[in-house]
Amino acid sequence: MPKTPDDARLELLQGTLDMLILRTLQWGPQHGHGIGQAIRTQSDELLKVETGSLYPALHRLEKRGWLKAEWAVSEANQRAKYYRLTAAGKAQLSREQDRWSQLVHAIGRIMNPTPASEE
Amino acid sequence: MRPDERDLDEEIRGHLALSVKERIERGEDPETARLAALREFGYVPAIRDSMRRVWYARWLDAAAALWQDLRIGLRSLLRAKGLAATIVVTLALGIGANAAIFSVVRGVLLRPLVNRDEDRLIYIRQSAPGLGADNINFSVPELSDFKARAKTITAFGDFSTVEFTLIGLGTEPRVIKAGVVGGSYFDVMGLRPVLGRLLNAQDDGPKAAGAAVLTYRFWTAALNSDPTVIGRTIRLGPRNATVVGVLEPSVPYPADTEIIANVVTSPHHLGATMVTNRTHRMTELFGRLAPGTSLDAARAELTAIHAAMVKEHPEGYLPTAHVQVTATLLRDQIASPARTILLVLLAAAAVVFVIACSNVANLILARSVRREGELAVRAALGAGQGALRRTLLAESLVLCGAGAVLGVLLARPFLAMVTRYAARFSIRALDVTVDASVLWVGAGLAMAAAVLLAFVPRLPSPHASAGLGLTSGSLRITPGTNRRLRAFATTQIALSFVLLAGAAMLLTALVSLQTAETGYDMRHVLAFDIPPSATGVAGPSAVDFYQEATRRIRQLPGVEAVAVGSFVPWRDAGLFGPGVSFAVEGYTRAEGEGDPTARVRLIAPGLFDVLGMRRLSGRDFTDDDGAEAEPVTIVSQSVAQRLFPNGDALNRHMWWTDPYFGSVPVHRRIVGVVADVDDESVRREAAMTIYMPVRQVGFGGRLFVRASGDPYALVPAVTRAIRAIAPEQAVERAATLEDVRAAVLSPERVNAFVFSGFAGIALLIAVVGVAGVLAFSVSARTREFGVRLAVGSAPRQLLARVLSEGLVIAVVGIVVGAAGGYALARLAAKVFFAVPLPGVLPVAGASAVLIVAAVVASLIPAARASHVDVMQALRSE
Repeated sequence: MPKTPDDARLELLQGTLDMLILRTLQWGPQHGHGIGQAIRTQSDELLKVETGSLYPALHRLEKRGWLKAEWAVSEANQRAKYYRLTAAGKAQLSREQDRWSQLVHAIGRIMNPTPASEE
Repeated sequence: MRPDERDLDEEIRGHLALSVKERIERGEDPETARLAALREFGYVPAIRDSMRRVWYARWLDAAAALWQDLRIGLRSLLRAKGLAATIVVTLALGIGANAAIFSVVRGVLLRPLVNRDEDRLIYIRQSAPGLGADNINFSVPELSDFKARAKTITAFGDFSTVEFTLIGLGTEPRVIKAGVVGGSYFDVMGLRPVLGRLLNAQDDGPKAAGAAVLTYRFWTAALNSDPTVIGRTIRLGPRNATVVGVLEPSVPYPADTEIIANVVTSPHHLGATMVTNRTHRMTELFGRLAPGTSLDAARAELTAIHAAMVKEHPEGYLPTAHVQVTATLLRDQIASPARTILLVLLAAAAVVFVIACSNVANLILARSVRREGELAVRAALGAGQGALRRTLLAESLVLCGAGAVLGVLLARPFLAMVTRYAARFSIRALDVTVDASVLWVGAGLAMAAAVLLAFVPRLPSPHASAGLGLTSGSLRITPGTNRRLRAFATTQIALSFVLLAGAAMLLTALVSLQTAETGYDMRHVLAFDIPPSATGVAGPSAVDFYQEATRRIRQLPGVEAVAVGSFVPWRDAGLFGPGVSFAVEGYTRAEGEGDPTARVRLIAPGLFDVLGMRRLSGRDFTDDDGAEAEPVTIVSQSVAQRLFPNGDALNRHMWWTDPYFGSVPVHRRIVGVVADVDDESVRREAAMTIYMPVRQVGFGGRLFVRASGDPYALVPAVTRAIRAIAPEQAVERAATLEDVRAAVLSPERVNAFVFSGFAGIALLIAVVGVAGVLAFSVSARTREFGVRLAVGSAPRQLLARVLSEGLVIAVVGIVVGAAGGYALARLAAKVFFAVPLPGVLPVAGASAVLIVAAVVASLIPAARASHVDVMQALRSE
């Protein structure tokens, strides 16, 4: 597997980590390590989440009631804490997704002004 | 749900394990995989901390802020060292005193006894309120009746106190107090031996072998915990006994004895009088409540049984004596003499604490007024009310924390003092130690004080214009603050007054007891105990011994006179029980009136002169008043006056009507009248006393020697003279009457001392308080005084003005204190016990002390006010 050099990696934008976590959990409960791996593989190794930010984020989301944590045994036969999306978490995910699309759209318009949109 | 520390750890461990597994599956070797996983994870403690922070953010922030405040508070207090020290010491005194007293109260009143199932162990007492006797004990026939009839009580234990001359432990023959008990005693008491065995049913009865158990205190203190003592044979008076065991440490009740022996060791206990005479009462009674029975049920049953006994044996119960039976839990019985005094002490300590707090509140209030500028700046910079309070709280926490630490340190020596004192009332006080509860009390009091103090100062209101405080930075005292300061100072004076008046009351009572005329020559008379060599042994041999001993002692140099008696004033109080009933010829008692009662004293010829008692008429006993001669008696003045109002007591006859003196009354001719003395109580009351000659009764036991020089110098010679006749005779407790009285008065003295201590502390704090308030008020009004001086006030007028402010505080405080103290005493009388109110003299004394203290406290601030530099004062703003 080709390794991406560290400097080729992208810094996460402020405030996007929560959204990525919620998104990752849309397909079912996962433990902290799994979430980190999922974000890395799904971003083609471009995004790497530091455990130092991942875990506080998970706990913050749990405290807000968007995630629910429970202990279970993983497929690798290791006891781990699994996070699951709550109903409130799903609602939050769709809100953040909307905001994100608007943001991308808005920034895109500034960064790549197309003649068509200039009226 | 909040994850705990273990949760966090496990989550991290799980993460690392998964990461390692994954790497191994990818083909890395385990060691590299582990290191790589750890490297990738990052610094574990930091991450764990960041997770924890998510959950505990608010607490951690608050703690950090408080820590910050504490540091600032500490630093700002270090700048005001004098003030901080005053506050810390004041609080420490209050906290230390309270913690110590509280420990004693807990240890003495609340702690359970070591006895097995002590909540079912009761103490039963027979009293005769009609005779003023609160404990007349039980006789053997009475005990048998209770044993046969009671159903609420499963077992009775009996205990009587006797004195034995003990030979065989230690070098000298010694008179010791011993308990004589039946076979069920130790089982009922629920006590265990630490060595050997205790007495049981096999040791009961007249046929058993003599056996004795040593008390723990005696074994450890006098015998150095010598284990070989078990099995040793000792002599107890005329009988032998084997030491069979050592009792575990326990509260000795009713008497602190050195040994406890079975009945066979005491000939008296086996005699017919003891076993069959219903009125020969010398046994204390303990009982075990039956399972499921309440104390009230047992009380009711005991009372019913007792009533039946009285009905069946009316001759044994004088109707006017109102004999009755009471039962209490042994624990409460032991605590009862100490209860009142401890509660009073607790109240005094609480008052001192309130005074200390109010003084500290004063100091802090004054300081916060000086800091109003600083607080206003902080408020203007955006500090909320909460933040300002927190600053104040942090400061008062530092102060009170330091006060509590010092207070708990002080509690130890305080406790040592208080236990020694309380041990006079309850032996349990001796094993009270400083324990964790003191820390809790100290910490609790400090916290209470800290919170209280943080809310005393007024914060700069966010609405009011802070402009003044901000710009001028000088001191402005508002009328509200001033009023509060004065209120605190007045409170201190009022509370100090209550304590001072109480202390003054105790002191005046003590002084009047100490200087009272007793009717004795106190200084030159030395009293000895020369107890009969065994219990109950008396008769001609004793009389001969007394005769020979006094003859030899009289010849010693330095001895002016010597005589045998039976009763050392005050020290032997209660020894002969309450008064004994008698009748005299020519006196018919009124309808419904019982026989008169009088104290019985046995004396040898010459004792009145030895003691310095005044003989009023007739003659003294002589050596001719022997066993074969005519029975004679001498009566005290009050007997003569009451029963022979016409003054013709001499040559009339009297006889005892109490069954104790036998059924055939011996008529005794009255040959003399002596002045009244009160040898039972230090409060002198006219006491009807009837004296009989030792030679006609055959019993004495006390020796009185009148010395021309130092009385105590005679002790060795007197002891030698007695031992020359009777080598095994104990000669003990030599003391002058003056010292006997001082020893008997020592609880009163200690009471007065402890209270004066409390009052002294209170007074000191109050003086500091008044001085502080006035000093503050003066320094805040520098400008006002400057103006006054400028417009022509004389400095003397200003001086008088400030002094009068101090006086007003003192007078108002005294009035409030007097009213409050009176109300408190009334309340206490309703809830706990009657509190004696101080007389005019103590109240006047306490007021005078406080007024003088207030004037002294006002002098320095007043002097400062009158010396204000006019120009500087006017320019100061």
